[in-house]
Amino acid sequence: MKSISVNNMTYSRFFADLSQTFAPSAVKRCLLFIKEKLIVPFAFLLLNYSCFCQVANNAEIISNIAEDLAAEDSDPEAAAIYLEYLNELSENPVKINQADENDLSRLFFLSDFQVRSLADYIKRNGNIVSIYEIAAIPGFDQHAAEMMLPFISLKENATGSSDTLSVRSTLLTNFILKPGERDTSSLGSPLKILSKYRISAGRFSAGFTTEKDAGEKFFTGSPPLPEFFSAYTSYSGKGLIRRVILGDFSLSFGAGTCINTAMRTGIQLTAPGFMTVRDNLKPYTSTDENNFFRGAAADLAIKKTELIVFYSRNRIDATPELSPDSTILFISSIYKTGLHNTSSLLLKKDLLTETVYGMSLSYNFRFMRIGASWSETRLSIPLHINADDPESIYDFEGAGNRLFSINYNTLAGRILFYGEMSLNNFSNSALVNGAMLRPSDRLTINVLWRKYSPGFTALNGKGPGNSSLSSGEQGITGNFSFEAAKHLFISAGCDVTHYSWLKYRCSFPSMSRKDGIVLRYLASEKFSFEFSYDYRYSMINDQNTSGVAGIKRSESSTFKWLFRYSPEENSSFATRISYKTVYPVWSSGMLLLQDINYRFTRIPLTLWFRYCLFSTGSWDSRLYTYENDLLYSFSIPALSGEGSRSYIMVKWDIGHLAELRIKYGLTSIIQKHGIENFDDELKLQVRFWF
Amino acid sequence: MKHLFSLHKIIVSLLFVFLSSSAIRSNPFTIRAGAGERGTGLACIMRSGFWSSFSNQSLLANNRSFSAGVNYENRFGIPELGTCTAAVIYPAGKSSIGIIYSHFGYPEFRRNMGGISCGMSLSGNISAGVQVDYFSENLPGEYDNIRVLTFEAGAVFDLSEKVTAAIHLFNPVPNSIRRSTVPSTLTAGAGIDLSKTLFAGAEAEMSTKEKLVIRTGFEYEAANKFWIRGGFSTENSSFSFGLGYLMKSLKIDLGFSTHDRLGVTSSVSLIYIIR
Repeated sequence: MKSISVNNMTYSRFFADLSQTFAPSAVKRCLLFIKEKLIVPFAFLLLNYSCFCQVANNAEIISNIAEDLAAEDSDPEAAAIYLEYLNELSENPVKINQADENDLSRLFFLSDFQVRSLADYIKRNGNIVSIYEIAAIPGFDQHAAEMMLPFISLKENATGSSDTLSVRSTLLTNFILKPGERDTSSLGSPLKILSKYRISAGRFSAGFTTEKDAGEKFFTGSPPLPEFFSAYTSYSGKGLIRRVILGDFSLSFGAGTCINTAMRTGIQLTAPGFMTVRDNLKPYTSTDENNFFRGAAADLAIKKTELIVFYSRNRIDATPELSPDSTILFISSIYKTGLHNTSSLLLKKDLLTETVYGMSLSYNFRFMRIGASWSETRLSIPLHINADDPESIYDFEGAGNRLFSINYNTLAGRILFYGEMSLNNFSNSALVNGAMLRPSDRLTINVLWRKYSPGFTALNGKGPGNSSLSSGEQGITGNFSFEAAKHLFISAGCDVTHYSWLKYRCSFPSMSRKDGIVLRYLASEKFSFEFSYDYRYSMINDQNTSGVAGIKRSESSTFKWLFRYSPEENSSFATRISYKTVYPVWSSGMLLLQDINYRFTRIPLTLWFRYCLFSTGSWDSRLYTYENDLLYSFSIPALSGEGSRSYIMVKWDIGHLAELRIKYGLTSIIQKHGIENFDDELKLQVRFWF
Repeated sequence: MKHLFSLHKIIVSLLFVFLSSSAIRSNPFTIRAGAGERGTGLACIMRSGFWSSFSNQSLLANNRSFSAGVNYENRFGIPELGTCTAAVIYPAGKSSIGIIYSHFGYPEFRRNMGGISCGMSLSGNISAGVQVDYFSENLPGEYDNIRVLTFEAGAVFDLSEKVTAAIHLFNPVPNSIRRSTVPSTLTAGAGIDLSKTLFAGAEAEMSTKEKLVIRTGFEYEAANKFWIRGGFSTENSSFSFGLGYLMKSLKIDLGFSTHDRLGVTSSVSLIYIIR
């Protein structure tokens, strides 16, 4: 196996060198020869071995981003949506040998550069037979190819065509219970239940999602319906009609400043592929109860012109202001958590009817894509802000919002430019512009600039930015990814953001800064090492001064070391050390954790085990750790205080019919007088295919 | 007078608890024996040796000699802070069995530990080991005596011919479930043979309610069967130094480590290779 691995690495590097050295035609001939004569025999042998090890490696990239998102207090749902997208991708991987550019763009972590490069390569050279072939495509490297592995399929469609009506169904149900938690004020049982069903037949698919959070009643309203219920039917085509969805759907236009109910990854300093300008319409299968559209949408394409039209009428949660006779005067805020476990929270459920409609039109020139969009939002009850709060004087008020935007992306040599300009009610604007440069196949450089007027509001949008609403934000981000030496990858970035108006815990215009560097050494398929440093600076109120709040800086530095070792194809071990310091609190936090992942060879069981010890001086120096979990469930606990966190998860593959996962997690915190408190949770998942 | 005597005992006992727990290692129940290990700053979970039963039982798999040894360690020149340790290793089939005993303290305050361990090779480059421990801690006055049964386990990986990595878990079950007060400890480390005569290693360790500790150490075979050792631990900024010599079947080791406030800990061990 060792010699095969060495061969494989040699091929991978050979591809990369070739593609940089020779003319494209020569490269093509060489690639075809090597692919047919050398790779194919090895590919199937290698793939089996590589999958387990590299999936383990991918967890580093995924967990880094998920932990960053979880740490963003301003957008608590972002990490959940991000992980749901990854779950959906792993459930329904992109068949890259059959995919067009639109399908490939489902791999949202790839840059536009990479999507185009991959589509062009398949069009010119035919099917890809190995993950190592991807590493040789211009714009990709071993690292990027490995990141794609769990989310792609190299197989041809078994039925040969998506027009064949072979019906496939998947049913998944999660049960989550925290035995130690007993809240007598809750309306329902402490059990959290999630069910997802999906049926597909050729180009048609349909599905539904139901969810009940802990403490909620399963059925509410009259007639009684599940606490959260979402459903869709979808048709996907290759001709005039690319996609039609009836029911619930998510949508994003361009950079997302106007419409984006899909994923929002914030500003990722060391993941350049996340900056993109692309329209995206897909069925809604997530559990965020207030951030999706309900109605109908169609994606139409005639030659190089693409049109997306949609209409949505959805009921969302809101906090009402009542008159003395209990009639609703206006809405003071939109309630976004989706939790309705008490009588008062249940009153907020589905209080507001939000009607949204709009369209996006784009045209693809040879080296440029230009798009324009328009959308209107109508609220059944007007929204009014608290006039006494200076922080909110630019916040949205009223019952209607109109948005226009134009966006573009263009390829000029090795530079991809992209951007978007949006107007909200013809008065407030959002500007986003960026560039992605690939001076060589080993180096990618990104720059992103954005400016949002203080009053810019998109109730269903989320463009690139640090804060949840982005209004009043102006910033610039730069980063690069570089293959510095054989198997050594360096990514680094810096973001500086200015806020032109007041924000939470900050009673003055302010700025923030983020720096990050990640160094990855993939010594072999068996062993990898990662070091990262992350610095955050922001300005907050100084509570020690009386009268007008003073200004003080808040800084944190986080160091992380990660070692991963996969001695055999069915096992991996990871050790992580994290250390964080926070100023001016002068608090520090540290953790040491050990992950063990083992897949039994004689019985269809896979085991995940983690043991983690942590010690932090305060909540400010808390540390986040991403955990493997059930599908469509996630766990990134914030570890604070002194204690331990451990979990064990078992997956049992019951033939090709079903899968069972059980996870038991335990967090133990030692209190001041040595008393040890613990919180445990039991999760169970059953998944059927039929 | 009797009250004063009790008070004196309590103060002395508390001092001993403090010294036994924080002066040398963050978790007083994770005992590491061996003057050789002391010389390398206790950075030893990846380095096979006679005293591996105390650091990482998986390393026993590499120890295929029937051998016995004793170790005495004295902390800061205080006789009452002495630790006596004895161990036997017996190769049995594909695995090696270790039997250990350790005694710390004096009659009024003492901590005894006994354990039986097993280390075996799982494949060409992985070994694993486990140990069942029994702790008995006797305290004077109204303090509760402790009797605890627990376990520890470890694994060692040969990443290449020269690089070794290891992990070790001590008492991984939260005490709230087992109703005991023994802290848990997680240790991970790696070592490299820089040449045929020079080995260097580093490890990170964290225990419940304690800060992260980093240890580094080296062992250099300066002459045939004569070793010089050194190390550093971030815990109490402790530097270590040691010597070792093998005479036919008898190995003698000396080890010393400093404490930034309390002085020097010295250790001597004798290991006899029976066959």
